[in-house]
Amino acid sequence: MWKRTAGGREFHFYLAGINNQNFLMRDRETGSWWQQVTGEAIFGPLKGTRLEPVAMDELTFSLWKQEAPAGLVMQPVAKYDKKYESDWEKSVAKMPTPLDFSREGFPNREIILGVELDGTARAYPQSTVWSAWPVQDRVGGAAIVLVTGPDGKSVRVFRAEVNAAAAEFFKKGEGWALMDSSTGSEWNFQGCATSGPAMGQCLPRVPYLKDYWFDWKNYHPATSVYQH
Amino acid sequence: MLRRLAIPAFALCCLAALAAFFIPAVIIQPFKHQAPDRLLLAMQVKEYAPAVSLVAAGLALLMLLLLWRRSQLWVRALLACGLLVSVASATMTRLNYFEWMFHPVTAGGFEAAGASKLAGSEMVMAVHIGADARAYPIVQMAYHHAFNDTVGGVPIVVTY
Repeated sequence: MWKRTAGGREFHFYLAGINNQNFLMRDRETGSWWQQVTGEAIFGPLKGTRLEPVAMDELTFSLWKQEAPAGLVMQPVAKYDKKYESDWEKSVAKMPTPLDFSREGFPNREIILGVELDGTARAYPQSTVWSAWPVQDRVGGAAIVLVTGPDGKSVRVFRAEVNAAAAEFFKKGEGWALMDSSTGSEWNFQGCATSGPAMGQCLPRVPYLKDYWFDWKNYHPATSVYQH
Repeated sequence: MLRRLAIPAFALCCLAALAAFFIPAVIIQPFKHQAPDRLLLAMQVKEYAPAVSLVAAGLALLMLLLLWRRSQLWVRALLACGLLVSVASATMTRLNYFEWMFHPVTAGGFEAAGASKLAGSEMVMAVHIGADARAYPIVQMAYHHAFNDTVGGVPIVVTY
């Protein structure tokens, strides 16, 4: 998701093609071609220009509704309502991939969560983050933690730093509860301490990209992979 | 003499019009691999395709008119076919056939979170800018792929 502005100009994008199963968009204003996954213009008058990413979350609708009860949801377009498939991921999973990186980490269509910090890229299989959270790691010198929400599907990534020092996080009890070992505070899925000495503190968020392994690897050739 | 030149010129015009449409269309097939140099060629051809194919189809028409009266029936049939594909090709270079496949949404409506019929287990892309919170259901965005919106006064493009 990108800001539609660069150099003080506003753009309107439309789909224009595909580059190895990643979309190419063009802007109506200059006709430049932009790669969806990188936000970079790859051809045309604005070649080399990069769009600024928009901070976003991928959440279940139920979790988002709790967090943003006054929010607005995009309505289905009536004309296409019957065409939306809730199991589209299953049909895409069977499609061949135009590139093959299956010997370099994961199967091509493995869904990974890609993190990029200080120029260092690292890929985490979504299934691992779902089953074994909190996933504690270091990327580009920064301590991070990947956390799955109470719905078992939504994932957020935070800097694992409490009081300016790297902190370990662990899951407590049967329900959803996240604690850190340095202060013993309890944290919620928004990354904010709800009780304990760190109460009131919030962990900085780390953006990540949910992507197929082959696509992530294509745009981050030097990526490392997290193996549980 | 003119006639002997007009036939190859006609064929050349038809080929140019066809190439303007087919070179990018063949390279940018959704499920195929795109090598970087071929993708570049596709984008370069697309740049000039509308103009090139229009001129080519126009010249093909001119050649056809020159040749028509003194041509046999089967030659006329060939000429008509050639012109038809050239015009079709020139038309296609002006249309965004990707949007036929992937159905963009140009004017999306919004509703309150509580009024939505979306299942709670469906994933959404959520943004929060200023006082505005918006959710884009992935089941819809995986179909439409791109949507231009403005949230909290910030113009954004939602992509999936």
